[in-house]
Amino acid sequence: MTMRRIVVVGNGIAGLTACDSLRSAGFDGELTVVGAERHHPYSRPALSKALLHGDHHLQAHELPQPTHEATELLGVSATGLDADARLVRTDGGGELPYDGLVIASGSRAKRLGPAEGTAGKVRELTLRTIEDAVLLKELVASRPSVIVIGGGPLGMEIASGCLHMGCDVTMVSDVTPLSRQLGDHLAGIFTSAAIRAGLRMAGGGKAHLAASDGGARVVLADGTELEADLVVTAIGDEPNTGWLSGSGLFSNGSLRVDSRGRLRPDIVAAGDVAFFPTQRGVRRVPLWTSAIDQAKAAAVGLLRGDAAPEFSFQPYFWTEGFGLSLKAVGFTPVIGPPDYAEAGEGADSMLLRWGSDLGSGTAAAINYRIPVPKLRRLANAGPEALQRIVPAGV
Amino acid sequence: MKIELDRPRCEGHGLCEEAAPQLMHLDDDGELVIDVPEVDGPELDAAKAAVRICPVAALRLAAA
Repeated sequence: MTMRRIVVVGNGIAGLTACDSLRSAGFDGELTVVGAERHHPYSRPALSKALLHGDHHLQAHELPQPTHEATELLGVSATGLDADARLVRTDGGGELPYDGLVIASGSRAKRLGPAEGTAGKVRELTLRTIEDAVLLKELVASRPSVIVIGGGPLGMEIASGCLHMGCDVTMVSDVTPLSRQLGDHLAGIFTSAAIRAGLRMAGGGKAHLAASDGGARVVLADGTELEADLVVTAIGDEPNTGWLSGSGLFSNGSLRVDSRGRLRPDIVAAGDVAFFPTQRGVRRVPLWTSAIDQAKAAAVGLLRGDAAPEFSFQPYFWTEGFGLSLKAVGFTPVIGPPDYAEAGEGADSMLLRWGSDLGSGTAAAINYRIPVPKLRRLANAGPEALQRIVPAGV
Repeated sequence: MKIELDRPRCEGHGLCEEAAPQLMHLDDDGELVIDVPEVDGPELDAAKAAVRICPVAALRLAAA
């Protein structure tokens, strides 16, 4: 059918990219974007990196103004979908009819304790939105003691930022931080740097929050008790799909799109909310370039259907902390030590590559400035694809 | 339109080069070089994609 009205639910980078891509692909009809956040899209990765670490980087998250000329409903949440009537409902009783729908409603931080406002609740900070980041930055300015629960990339970036601000920081993680996401080798490099920077590590099983005079207490499954002024949890995210309840779009409780981003011919999904096919199976990949690349594919999938190109996911990931800056291309975690390593100039500078039985490998650059296209060549074809790279002992 | 680079913000990810290799590249030192600063017509879309994918907003499109 002809698309005259397209509604985009979600105004993060996926929603923004979908709007831009719809316009680039020639859609000149009525475009409406509904965003629960009151702001134009911003760079979420910057919140736990430059914004948290920087002394003068309160604009580190800001992106260029949108140019897609959509009607923007900011601070408005979608509350329901009638997929047969092609109607999105919003809070305040609004109804938005559409010919095509882009679901880019993102995800939210998982919490360890009950929701805010629950009686007797221990204050649990999370970092997902710009408001979360500004609050955390304000709180750590007075150098409180901090417990960070969750040793993924976000938790480690938060820990690094708090240490940088002069806080006493304890990381609670059952496994070596970053090992689940990156593999033992890269996790080891980051964890060593973190310990050198003064990060205290605590394991001991599942953590629970408990009330404490003036601060917060964390009790681990093995009985270990920790106390600090602040507790920040970074234990993952969950897709914002509550508004789709009863829509009939779920399979096994999740939104699973096809290789063109489609749930149905008239509904696509992209970004942190969506599971999509990758070379390693159907996955949700809540990362910056993943959201952008999914949104581009989904926009064309919505307009052109089967004539749209299929989406081929090419992972790109970066993290910073404890004086290290990592860029990685290819699927992670990687198993074992790298097949190739090349030292760069300067401290802790290295270029690493892991081969894979499944075709393209994984390449990682630590404190090593290298363009992503070059890093991708290294990941895909191995060191012979690059000039001046000599295999070195690892 | 003119592609403008805020060099201090650039972290050298090079995602812009992937989006618009005909317009910009990172040199051997990882510094971004804008090869075609003035863009219009079909290259404008590539320039917009490059500006949009930068996670630190180091690029911007301004009226030429």
